Amino acid sequence: MTELLYLIYILAFVIGAIFGLVLSYKKYSLPFVIEKMDNLALTISIIAWILLINSSLIQFIPQEIIVIVSLFLVSLIIGMRPGYGRKETYVGIIIAGLIYLLRLLIGGT
Amino acid sequence: MASILINLLIAAFMGTVLIGLQRKVMARVQMRPGPPIIQYVLHTLKFYLKETSFPKTAAMPFYIAIASTLCAIWVTGIIMGPVTQGSLLLIFGIYAMHKIVEHNAGSSSGSPYGKLSCVRAVFSASAELPLFALLIVVYLQTHTMIISDIITYQSINGPLIFSIPLAGIMFFVLLITKSHYSLFSITKGKDIISGYETEHFGVMRGYLMFSESISWYMLLWIYLTVFFGPLSLISYFMGMIVISVIIAIINAISPILNPNHSVMFQITCAFIGIFGSIILMII
Repeated sequence: MTELLYLIYILAFVIGAIFGLVLSYKKYSLPFVIEKMDNLALTISIIAWILLINSSLIQFIPQEIIVIVSLFLVSLIIGMRPGYGRKETYVGIIIAGLIYLLRLLIGGT
Repeated sequence: MASILINLLIAAFMGTVLIGLQRKVMARVQMRPGPPIIQYVLHTLKFYLKETSFPKTAAMPFYIAIASTLCAIWVTGIIMGPVTQGSLLLIFGIYAMHKIVEHNAGSSSGSPYGKLSCVRAVFSASAELPLFALLIVVYLQTHTMIISDIITYQSINGPLIFSIPLAGIMFFVLLITKSHYSLFSITKGKDIISGYETEHFGVMRGYLMFSESISWYMLLWIYLTVFFGPLSLISYFMGMIVISVIIAIINAISPILNPNHSVMFQITCAFIGIFGSIILMII
């Protein structure tokens, strides 16, 4: 059962990355030359990383579903056209990491 | 049956993602944007949709059989590894078969690049030396060849990486050897285009790439299992990601070696690994 769950996680990541690649090629017609952050990608990245690292914060949805959705969203940004989504991912990881540390400091789970 | 299928899919997808991650890290180290992480997945899937053509010079049906054999031996590898945790000896037998298939895939196509890769595959059989050396060292330490028993041994005595570190380093050199774009990957050097894969098209190429993904996953799985003891699935994945990133950095900053140097380096590592480990055991 655990193995099946991890297979679903991997598939969520792969499918998310494929979607990210296809959508980003439609959205950005140029190669990555203007190093500007995309607000939508940034928002998705922050939400996805917070959900992935702090999945135990949300109690009313099964944790497995949160992880699947967050992996899909994380890979949606990571899988974007080369160059795009990189900075958004870093910001997402940093914010999610800070929230995780904050939870540890205040003794939450 | 379900367990075999699930483990096979995990190995195939995780393997392709890890190879993609490795290429991405290599590109970033070399200050390039690099391909998307899932490029290898897309590449593999793409070949299943392409028309399969056969070179006039191909040795039929050997040419077809060899690609299918590669797939079959790695499915066996999955069964002997993560599914049943059987004998380490059989897994290394599978690696020996992989080498033979690598050799024959090159020669069966009739391509001059394939043939050169085939010659290099024979030449680089020394890459398998650390494998056999590892078998001896692990057996001397644990007195077993069964993976589940090796895991049990480690749960009692601690990870083997601390008791036989030289063998661990030796196996790590093997990981580098088998990785893509490594300094030892002489069978697939860019001077011979794609090596033994040069004249495999469509589904045949898809089979080869699918098998390579599983092979990469299995190598990492064996390394983590044999040297780091009982691990959860998430620990395996984290370990695989870390090792792939380390290897990507090494590959990104090192040029491909001349076949002679590559072979000598691997033989030297095997000798240091085996004799050093035995001396450490005696002391």
